[in-house]
Amino acid sequence: MEKEPEKIIELVNVKKIYRMGNEKIYAVDDVSFDIKKGEFCCLLGTSGSGKSTLLNLMAGIEKATSGQIIIKGKDIPKMNENNLARFRQRYLGFVFQAYNLINSMTALENVEFPLVFKRIAPKKRKKLAKDMLAQVGLGSRLMHKPKEMSGGQQQRVGIARAFVAKPEIVFADEPTGNLDTKTTIEVMELIKRMARENQQTIVMVTHDRSLAAYADKVIHILDGKIQSIEITDRASSEDMQVRLKEVSKKLLLDRGGEQVSTET
Amino acid sequence: MRISDLLKLALRNLLRRKARTALTVIGMVIGTISIVVMVSIGIGVNRSFDEAIMQNGSMTMIQVQKYGIIYDEDGNFVDEKEQMLDDSVVELLKGIDHVRAVSPVISTYAELYSGKFEKGVNVMAMDSESFEAFGFPPLAYGSYPTKENPSTVVMGTETMKYFYNFSGRNFEEKDVDPLTEEVTMKFRQYQTHPRKKEFEMELKDFAMMEETDNYEYCYNFYMDIDYFREIWQKYANTLTLEERKRAMSVLDSYEEIRINVDNIDNVTEVQEAIKALGYAAYSEMQFMEPIKEASNMIQLGLGVIGSIAMLVSAINIANTMVMSIYERTKEIGIMKVLGCLVRDIKRQFLLEAGLLGLLGGIIGILISYVLSFLINKYGSGIMGSLVGMETTGKLSVIPFWLPFAAAAFGMLIGVLSGYFPARRATRIRAIEAMKTEG
Repeated sequence: MEKEPEKIIELVNVKKIYRMGNEKIYAVDDVSFDIKKGEFCCLLGTSGSGKSTLLNLMAGIEKATSGQIIIKGKDIPKMNENNLARFRQRYLGFVFQAYNLINSMTALENVEFPLVFKRIAPKKRKKLAKDMLAQVGLGSRLMHKPKEMSGGQQQRVGIARAFVAKPEIVFADEPTGNLDTKTTIEVMELIKRMARENQQTIVMVTHDRSLAAYADKVIHILDGKIQSIEITDRASSEDMQVRLKEVSKKLLLDRGGEQVSTET
Repeated sequence: MRISDLLKLALRNLLRRKARTALTVIGMVIGTISIVVMVSIGIGVNRSFDEAIMQNGSMTMIQVQKYGIIYDEDGNFVDEKEQMLDDSVVELLKGIDHVRAVSPVISTYAELYSGKFEKGVNVMAMDSESFEAFGFPPLAYGSYPTKENPSTVVMGTETMKYFYNFSGRNFEEKDVDPLTEEVTMKFRQYQTHPRKKEFEMELKDFAMMEETDNYEYCYNFYMDIDYFREIWQKYANTLTLEERKRAMSVLDSYEEIRINVDNIDNVTEVQEAIKALGYAAYSEMQFMEPIKEASNMIQLGLGVIGSIAMLVSAINIANTMVMSIYERTKEIGIMKVLGCLVRDIKRQFLLEAGLLGLLGGIIGILISYVLSFLINKYGSGIMGSLVGMETTGKLSVIPFWLPFAAAAFGMLIGVLSGYFPARRATRIRAIEAMKTEG
């Protein structure tokens, strides 16, 4: 029998309360769930549902009001800023909706950046960054600045940056929010492939139901609360391929007219 | 982050806004120039004062004179009193702390003859053992008298110059070389006994001083006081009975007692001690104090002007850094999320500010050297009027430590003025920062 994979992320009764004058706003209201190692987890919800806040809490960018968020055995809200930074260097990668690349730096330098913080020697980190850019299909655009690239290409740089340090967990906040359908598929495929190659855990936030099909686990969130958790059975890889093809088709149909596609 | 990476990033950020960086550096350059040049002028003025005073006599010397003058605190004449100075006073003065040497001084006047030529000279008789302590200049030839061999007469450089021939028609003058020409010395203050031969003494055992800036040594003869007593006794024997008594009284009561203090800083203290013993004393130091004060005031004033310019540059750097942080808010947010330590963010900004300061400092120092050179070349006329005396000194002196101090100070100013902006940068919250445009 296959051994049950370890829990890599565990949330227990997590709350995040904002104060707006006299009113309390429960952005995240008593949320508990866990994510296993190697899982692709999708936090699905409409805008304002608190899904992004939840992601920020997990990444330690925001502090939870109460509850426990345990990642790799560490309670994130209890860590100080310095330890959090080191923790991010070691275990976490980030992909953002707005790419968040540094405009004054080339693609290569952007990908190198997290390695700079880890004090990796310049030669080694340059090689790692180059390899990573080649993997995302940008081997020929190393010296381009973000402004000289398309949205899809920028997001690939973003993905390369998130994965370059081989983090165990990658957080993706609406990674395809600014992209057209075709590019969305490419980017999602890329994230999925990269994650599978290195047994990495992905936590993705999206409002797009169709993207949830890429996930092993979908957590529906509404008004800061978990509505339901939907676990997709781990199908054989062949099944997966079929399923993903369907998803792609559906995606294109759903968003029809957005782009004249050459396929289907 | 590695230091090399921090440095690379800082340089890159500075180069990203070339015009702004250049302007900030120029501000710093001006600040550095003003402080270096002002301090160098302050030092130059101070040094010229010192030089001017050193020419007037030894700073560690205190004189107690027979006709002592009493001064008030500002060095103004108050009164004069006659004080009896004898060996008991010498012994008394020797007992004061920090006193290195005490010598009674008999000062008299002698006439010198060389052939038809003659001239007058001051003779100072002092304790030969104290010569060294008083800082007598080195000798061109001969040696100083000692207790064993006290008969040497030490000549000041000017004493052998300008001998006059009064009997000649044209008022001839010439310099005498005692090594080749015969010189005799006479005392003529008192009336010689009519039946006795006039006292005269041929100068055979003598030494010549080297040229020195201290003019006190130039115009005098110096002799050992015991040897002087001997020849004075001989001279007195040639006088009329009445005159002999008067002449001998010169030996009993000294014209002056000189005290040498071990250190320039103790002069005032010793002088106070002498006053406490009831003797009026005089030292160059008492006139130095107000001059020194004035000079310090000038230095302080110049320093303040320089510091104000420096302060403005510091504010300039702080302003540049604040702007830079506004522009890079998003970048800072990204860096934080990617796992950059707060410490490294702070260091990066401090480094940038420090580099601005250092760069401005270095350029400023180079320009200061040029300015200092020009000031010394064209501005020495101003010096005379500033100090109120002719000096050979430079108006602007940059001591070797000043450029290093200025560069370090520039960097320090940069880092200090970068500190608060840097701290602000570290407090930027990552999420909000990433949402900003940039």
